Amino acid sequence: MRLVAENLSRSFGRRAFGPVSFSVETGRVLGVAGENGSGKTTLLKTLAGLIRPSGGRARIFFEGEDAGDGCEPRDVPWHIGWVAPDLALYGELTAEENLTFFERVRGLVPTPGRARALLESVGLPPDSHSKKPLSSLSTGQRQRVKLAFATLHEPDLLFLDEPGANLDEAGRSIVQRVVAEQRLRGIAVIASNDPRDLALADERVTLS
Amino acid sequence: MRVVRGLGFTVKALLGLGMAAICWAAFLWARPAQNFVGESSRIVFFHVPMAWVSTLAFFIAAWHSAVYLRKRRIENDDAAAGAARLGFVFCVLATVTGSIFARVMWNSYWNWDPRETSIVLLLLVYGAYLGLRGALEDPERRATLSAAYALVAVVTVPFLTFAVPRMYQSLHPDTVLNVRGRVEMSADIRTVFFSSMVAFMILFFWMWNLDRRVSRIVRERAAA
Amino acid sequence: MSAPRKAAGVLPAAIAVFRRELLAEWRTRVAVNSLFLFAFAVLVLVAYAVGPTRLSPEDRPTVNAVLLWIVLFFSAMTGLSRTFVHEEDAGTAAALRLSAPPSGVLLGKLLANMALLGAVTAFIVPLFVVLMGFEIRDPPLFVLLLLLGTFGLASASTFTAALVSKASAKGALFAVLAIPLLLPPLVGAVLATRVAATEADFSAGIDFARLLVAYDGVVTTAAFMLFDAVWRE
Repeated sequence: MRLVAENLSRSFGRRAFGPVSFSVETGRVLGVAGENGSGKTTLLKTLAGLIRPSGGRARIFFEGEDAGDGCEPRDVPWHIGWVAPDLALYGELTAEENLTFFERVRGLVPTPGRARALLESVGLPPDSHSKKPLSSLSTGQRQRVKLAFATLHEPDLLFLDEPGANLDEAGRSIVQRVVAEQRLRGIAVIASNDPRDLALADERVTLS
Repeated sequence: MRVVRGLGFTVKALLGLGMAAICWAAFLWARPAQNFVGESSRIVFFHVPMAWVSTLAFFIAAWHSAVYLRKRRIENDDAAAGAARLGFVFCVLATVTGSIFARVMWNSYWNWDPRETSIVLLLLVYGAYLGLRGALEDPERRATLSAAYALVAVVTVPFLTFAVPRMYQSLHPDTVLNVRGRVEMSADIRTVFFSSMVAFMILFFWMWNLDRRVSRIVRERAAA
Repeated sequence: MSAPRKAAGVLPAAIAVFRRELLAEWRTRVAVNSLFLFAFAVLVLVAYAVGPTRLSPEDRPTVNAVLLWIVLFFSAMTGLSRTFVHEEDAGTAAALRLSAPPSGVLLGKLLANMALLGAVTAFIVPLFVVLMGFEIRDPPLFVLLLLLGTFGLASASTFTAALVSKASAKGALFAVLAIPLLLPPLVGAVLATRVAATEADFSAGIDFARLLVAYDGVVTTAAFMLFDAVWRE
């Protein structure tokens, strides 16, 4: 699998980022650097298919059947995982209910305990979150739930926007583990200003 | 290019002369129609073309909206928005002229006749469409959402004509294309009326074209 | 690497969205409260000011029919935009967009809004009939009209809510956009309710029922065809 950006750009009236071009292969991690306002978040949203590009294109090439011209990210949301500061999950539901809901809408059959195990793996033992609505968890705990949400369906492409934000040392090691697992599964893209996050990347794109 | 510009000038000149001739003929040449109070029938030369253009503009806007959603070319959004803006203006004019005619003919500015109700609905749709555009900043989002609204409106608005006329007798004079399938006008009225229809449509297309060119220039300047 | 998977089915996703809407609504009761309280307050106001006795018998069917649909229409306007507007305001829309097929989202939310509006209708209409002394000569037609009318109201409002959730000034815009879409069926529903109140013959109102069926079908179809573009914008 390969993720390719060709002269990709986006503007909202004025330019948000780009044009940028790059290509990432399976097993690699791309870091996106750049100061505040350089368009890192917009680039990741565009790659995740949440925003339509204004110019150029983003393409995902799968091995085998879908090769040819590749697919647009927005047409294959089930291959994509995304974590960002402006991602929010349902505050009225508990962490476990959130994950079970997203399993259901993704057409995965929720097996009992799977959501709980996933939460456990991001450092949230059941007594820390069960029976509490998500809105009453701390920001760092919610960031962990978001990481669980993004990897719930074992996506081929994982986009992490400021993954280390609000996390303690234990939380950062979970980010490292998530990225290491993603390497085995496909591609990860990390946008951050934090050198510790960017240190996980093999290649780097800097936006200006 | 020069040929096109020359042609454009000729059309504009003919339109100006034609409009002047229609105004002259409407008031000085055509005779008043039978069964109408006083000179009131003369309004048909202006009221009906305005109402027709505003309806036509609505369908043109819907058509370009559909094309926009398929092809995602911003020019189609310019076209839809321009048609809606002009359609709104013509719709207001048709409502006002119709209301004046209603006062002369039936002694009341407004009667909730089916046709009056329909044109109010058209006014509301235009208002809502333009209001939606005003509330959206991003040009692509504005284009997509307003196109979707125009298309929902174009399939729901016609239901009014099924809902209303069953209950009331219409006071409105027969439409040009009536159930008897022929035009019932004297020769002089017919001549002026159809000339005016053609002139108003040309006027609309000319203004629409100007509007689209302005939209393009505004966009290019904003991007530069 | 895992093999390319498929999109989730529309129906399971719709059921999940529907259940989540109801669960969240059960826990917060925001839409239910605003809808029921609004409908009840307007009903009290109307019943107090107009009441069963202040109308002459020949005016009663018309005025009651209009008032009933005004209450239902504005109840829809107060509560039904929340499904989509809250999703955008809380920032959960992106998560849902990445996870669920668009048609499943619309279907689930449409069903939730129908359940909500249906509950309000079931609550308010009997009260209205009693408090206003609204005699219905043809109850089957009346019930049919209520079902078809609220279906159309919910459909058009849900789609409009999806549109306004992306715009600024959402509250004001919702009614502005919904009124032109809903005027035709509401005019039909009001006229038909008057027929149901005055004539015992079911066939007298069947033309209006046909009109409403056609409207509901058309507006729902259009909503599903256009929703994908709106939702993913």
